[in-house]
Amino acid sequence: MFIFRLWRIAVRDLGRNRRRSALTLIAVMMGLALVITLHGFEMGAIQGSIQNNIRVQTGHVQVRGESYDEDKVSLKWEDLLEDPLALAAQAQTLAEVRAAAPVLWAGGILVTVEESVGVRVFGIDPPSEMAAPYREGLVAGEFLAPDDRGGVLIGQRLAKSLGLTVGDDVSLLINTSGEQPDEATFRIRGLYDTGIPGFDEATIFLPLAKAQAFTRVGERASAVVVLLHDQEDADTVAAALGAPGLDVMTWRDLNQLMVEGMNAAMGFLYMIYLIVLAVVAVVVANTLLMSVFERTREMGILASLGMKGRQIMAMFLMESATLGAIGVFLGVLLGSLGVYYLATEGLYLGDMSASVASADIAYGETMYAAFQWSDTAVLAVVCWIIMLLASLYPAWFATRKEPIDALRAL
Amino acid sequence: MIVIELQDATRVYKIGEMETHALRGVNLTIEDGEFTALVGPSGSGKTTALQLMGCLDRPTSGRVLLQGEDVTKLSANKRADLRRGTIGFVFQFFALIPGLSAYENIELPLLLSGANGKQRKARVAELLEAVGLSERAKHRPDQMSGGEQQRVAVARALATEPILILADEPTANLDTENGRQVMEIMLRLNEETGTTFVCATHDPRVIPFARRVVELRDGKVADDKQYEGDTR
Repeated sequence: MFIFRLWRIAVRDLGRNRRRSALTLIAVMMGLALVITLHGFEMGAIQGSIQNNIRVQTGHVQVRGESYDEDKVSLKWEDLLEDPLALAAQAQTLAEVRAAAPVLWAGGILVTVEESVGVRVFGIDPPSEMAAPYREGLVAGEFLAPDDRGGVLIGQRLAKSLGLTVGDDVSLLINTSGEQPDEATFRIRGLYDTGIPGFDEATIFLPLAKAQAFTRVGERASAVVVLLHDQEDADTVAAALGAPGLDVMTWRDLNQLMVEGMNAAMGFLYMIYLIVLAVVAVVVANTLLMSVFERTREMGILASLGMKGRQIMAMFLMESATLGAIGVFLGVLLGSLGVYYLATEGLYLGDMSASVASADIAYGETMYAAFQWSDTAVLAVVCWIIMLLASLYPAWFATRKEPIDALRAL
Repeated sequence: MIVIELQDATRVYKIGEMETHALRGVNLTIEDGEFTALVGPSGSGKTTALQLMGCLDRPTSGRVLLQGEDVTKLSANKRADLRRGTIGFVFQFFALIPGLSAYENIELPLLLSGANGKQRKARVAELLEAVGLSERAKHRPDQMSGGEQQRVAVARALATEPILILADEPTANLDTENGRQVMEIMLRLNEETGTTFVCATHDPRVIPFARRVVELRDGKVADDKQYEGDTR
């Protein structure tokens, strides 16, 4: 009851200087809203790029040869899967699996009359579900047919930068399983756009059979890529597909580098959060300190009534806690609105996305925020605690005055 | 019975190198039920003496005895405990908490002393009645006149039934009529409840209400007179 009355005095004090309280409230609200929106956007960018990467590159589970070296894009027979079709068929029998298909990766150089660029060549099974993102992303021409021996699918962005279009011929120099690279001319059948500039600018597609023949690997493939109904089943499926001589990786392993990189970026972002919240804390401390100065007389009265220093301190802390709670509530509301807007409308980055991303970090042209209750709750509580900490000094300052000194202000 | 006693009390304020002697060895004894006026010109030490009696301050030397107990060296928290429930204050500037209603201001010391809801309600109603402000219970200080505010302050000082009420220039900011009303209420409550009142004042209108007038000059007791009955 007494605490309630203290709190009531505190709340009424807030109402006494409405403009100052409102400005403090706005500072807390804007600060927290900014932090929540930033965080939601960053989390959305991380999750979005992981999902993009799963969709166009890694799948949920990959089965590779044990000795396969991803960095070298090895095409040596001993590094490749001997019978990828059988492995894919085996994966298909699992209830958790939505689709499984072999893929062959090779490094190559696309040569036009004017220039040449390094590309990653994906030998894909065109009708498979794995190829759906590329098929659905077709923006010009036709998709590849499985038995197409002279066609290639290239990204619209790459085509644009090289001045190419559907029907043009390009020369492709490709690494093979042997010592010498091979070169052949292909006709551009179609252009695709997955919405991930970093991927589209560096990747071209051949039908798997043609890619296998071109790189002289026989029926072999670099990996079998598996898509699941639910990505949380990745470990179960990986365990089921494990066999001697095979390396089975889940989407977590495959995106680890990206997640680690982004976590490092998050560290920087946390610094920004801290700076924003520190600025808010200074505003709060300043407001409360001014309030303490203004109410010296009142503290003298309360002391004369027998109120102890710690009770006066509690009163000021409650004032700050109340202001903080309202500010935090409004901040969560505004921040959530910000996240909601960015989650539905997204932020169009366009070419900027390609410049900040590499082929391994699949930033889309439009990035979307992701709202996370737990993180928002943590940020809200942290903001509130920082406010309380910031008000400790003014509250302590209020108790430092001797009653007679406080009463002298009468 | 002696309520409060100052024994050779001195109070020296130091501001930088400069020393100001507010009290220079005051000996003063206030008996139970007295209505005493502490008079003297500005700077004579009235407020300082009142603050020592109210345990708001400590003497530089000498002793303060409250009901025979030496309170001179008590800590700030102990003195706060002592003030609560034992001593009530009335200040020149009414000194109400601006955000609280008349009712809530009077209730505050009761809350601090741990009275329960029922006790508080009955006591506040009784006090509002005693100072003639039952109708103004819900009004906040800024909605009341100076006289009304000072009556609320008197009621608040009496809330916990303290043995001693210390009033520092209680009429200084009131017009004649309101000043008289406040003094009459205090005198009536002194007579009805036997509560001891000490008023520091230089308002000649207050002196006739007192049964004892102690004059301070230059931090010393210069005169101490007892009066029988009402001298108004």
